[in-house]
Amino acid sequence: MMTESQRALSGTRLIDLTDARAIYGAKLLSDLGADTVRPIPPEGDPLANRGPIDKQSGESLWYAFHTTSRRLFHMSNSSKSRRQLQSLCEHANVIVLNDGHPFESFLDLANVRDSNPGLVIVECTSFGNTGPWKDYLAPDLVAGALGGSVAITGDEDTPPLKPFGDVNFAVSGAYVAVAALAALRHSRQTGKGQLVRVSVHECIASCLEHVFMWYLYNDVFRHAKGKALERRGSLHWSNLYQVMQAKNGHIMVTPTPSLDNQLVWLIEENAFEDLLDPEYQEPNARGRWARRMMEVLRSWVATKDVESLFYEAQEHHAPFGWVHDIPQVADNPQLAGRDWWSSLEVSGNSVKSTGSPYSHSDTPAEAGGIEHLSAESEGIIDAIGWGN
Amino acid sequence: MRPLQGVRVLDFTHVLAGPFCTRVLADMGADVVKVNSETRAQINAPIGPYFTLWNRNKRTIALDMAQDEARKIAFDLALRADVVIDNFSMGVLERWGMGYVDVSNQNKSVIYVQMSGMGSGGPWSNFVTYAPTIHALSGLTYTTGVPGRRDIGLGYSYNDHQAGLHAAVAVLSAIEAREHTGKGQRIDISQFEVAVNLLGPTFLNYFANGEGIEPCGNDQPYDEIGPHGCYRCAGPASNDVLGERWIAIACLNDSQWEALRACMGNPEWSRDEVFATSGGRYQNRRELDERLSAWTKDLDAWELMQMLQAAGVPAGVVQDGVDLMELDPQLIEKKFIRRIEEPHPTMGSTYADKLPIDFEHTPCDLYERSRTLGEDNVQILADWLGVDQKSVIQGEEDGYLR
Repeated sequence: MMTESQRALSGTRLIDLTDARAIYGAKLLSDLGADTVRPIPPEGDPLANRGPIDKQSGESLWYAFHTTSRRLFHMSNSSKSRRQLQSLCEHANVIVLNDGHPFESFLDLANVRDSNPGLVIVECTSFGNTGPWKDYLAPDLVAGALGGSVAITGDEDTPPLKPFGDVNFAVSGAYVAVAALAALRHSRQTGKGQLVRVSVHECIASCLEHVFMWYLYNDVFRHAKGKALERRGSLHWSNLYQVMQAKNGHIMVTPTPSLDNQLVWLIEENAFEDLLDPEYQEPNARGRWARRMMEVLRSWVATKDVESLFYEAQEHHAPFGWVHDIPQVADNPQLAGRDWWSSLEVSGNSVKSTGSPYSHSDTPAEAGGIEHLSAESEGIIDAIGWGN
Repeated sequence: MRPLQGVRVLDFTHVLAGPFCTRVLADMGADVVKVNSETRAQINAPIGPYFTLWNRNKRTIALDMAQDEARKIAFDLALRADVVIDNFSMGVLERWGMGYVDVSNQNKSVIYVQMSGMGSGGPWSNFVTYAPTIHALSGLTYTTGVPGRRDIGLGYSYNDHQAGLHAAVAVLSAIEAREHTGKGQRIDISQFEVAVNLLGPTFLNYFANGEGIEPCGNDQPYDEIGPHGCYRCAGPASNDVLGERWIAIACLNDSQWEALRACMGNPEWSRDEVFATSGGRYQNRRELDERLSAWTKDLDAWELMQMLQAAGVPAGVVQDGVDLMELDPQLIEKKFIRRIEEPHPTMGSTYADKLPIDFEHTPCDLYERSRTLGEDNVQILADWLGVDQKSVIQGEEDGYLR
């Protein structure tokens, strides 16, 4: 059931008409306390069967994660059901939706906006509302391919790779939440709602770190081979971070922010090889020296126990990262030390789950449970307290 | 008017995660005052493309926080801020006398955001991290790869962007809460926890079913669908290093598979009953990938994408930076990359990628160049603290405003 504690968005009424492209944003808003209603079409939620699946109950764990803190409003094909949805929208503060949602054929958002002038509508589309690709189909892999994240992930001897999970849609989801809250603030101040459009394609392109920099400022990067950097495994665009093989595991080796401090550490370990050679003191030799540093590090790391190296690096203020698999993350001492994990109810069973991605001191976010509403029930608006 | 007009942000962030948060807020109209200094140069220095990309639309003040006068000014600015934000390791602002308790005692409405790598408290609280560190520790590096490899991971600092976006969500939600309570609050963001949360369904699967996950390339890890991958094509490549051209194809259901078959001319192999269902295609996905690759290898990726999309098959060219800049009709139409009108004093032409949010009534299409060290000292101190220009110039000469 919904938690009763005061949360940041308590009192904000949200209608969630999202699919996979924006549902993460609806989750963020809901877990922050928005009173969220997600209408479910008569044939069922199109997202409800996505894996992973709980083996005990057959329920979708993907769906359980993404639909926390919500009232699921089960629609029928009746006119009463449709009127109730229309009315819910008229009483909402925010509607987040994707184009092609199951209620497009009868939900009259123009009328809703007329009767609810403070309403914020955030519409998330794959490519925007105009242009030759506006009707293109783009699940996460295709969105990442066209958006630019796939081309820079993978290695020379692999195909371009999609980052694991719904990584691309998590970006558009986060932007949807940002857009909704910014427009909500404006609406609170002026009484004027608005339509806000978010393009998944632009969202992905806006989060590519070096890609546009590489093109636009190519003359600055003396080691650049072209205006587009190839996929090259874990080697960072700066050439200074890379996952390396230790004796018994892998570790992301990041000798910055101070290569000189890394050199001192290698000297302490008598593993500096030729890094003190005078040739590297010559003007313009810094790049060569840094590349040689990475080679020396590869040899040195291969002799080290991965766990010890990770902690030694942190003692040296070097941001090395031990490559953890899922069970290792689940046992992570920092997450345990912050009492971070939470739990979700899946088919009546409590399952350990991820915690909130932020901690508010006074209005903590919390993934609440699901409440089921029938659209055939009388007086939904009053029943859920939206008539006040 | 932009939607965050009137929101004041005092910005101690550096590198990417923090600046990306404040960039989003600045794009939407917040008055973001970024604190730099000559003595904290390195990557936070307001020079070069990297800084330029993440710090448009902000103003800069130079404060040498080693000096008492600078710390006093910073504290006074914090008292007039709606939001104070940093992404240092834990404890830096406290050492400057600007911890949450110090500031909130006098500014009850302040929203005070600390977005460190590991968050406040816990045995790793003081660990230093970059996005690749976070990727490694969170499982993102492990899971993004191909079977047998655990050294690939994401090819860019994805989590820096996500931490920035989540911080923006947190800030805006606290602003909304303040509308009702009149009170600010502290927000503690662990960039590590942001990343782990993004793998939420995978962890639910681990805890509910006891199953980890191995890297699986472009396969869907949990849904039995196919084909779902990247396939080599012919045609010119913009990337002159690898010189390859690829297309991604993702059939989510049988009707999309049938459409793909039709586009291929219904070859005999595709009529094999093992490919008739999603489950069958998934079970035989390596053979399917080989068959598809044999078909795509002589085809132009752009033409193929158009044909497949017209038939209702999700497909997209794997676009690199040159493609995005020069060929992508959507980004070109939206003027996604813009040359900033005012030249930068040292860099000349600089550029902005547009905020991917289009507001109907509060458009956010103003992009101003990043500022040089202390360039806005006079204006900021006049606007926020009412300090006169002569005093500011004196402070610059004395060194604490540098």
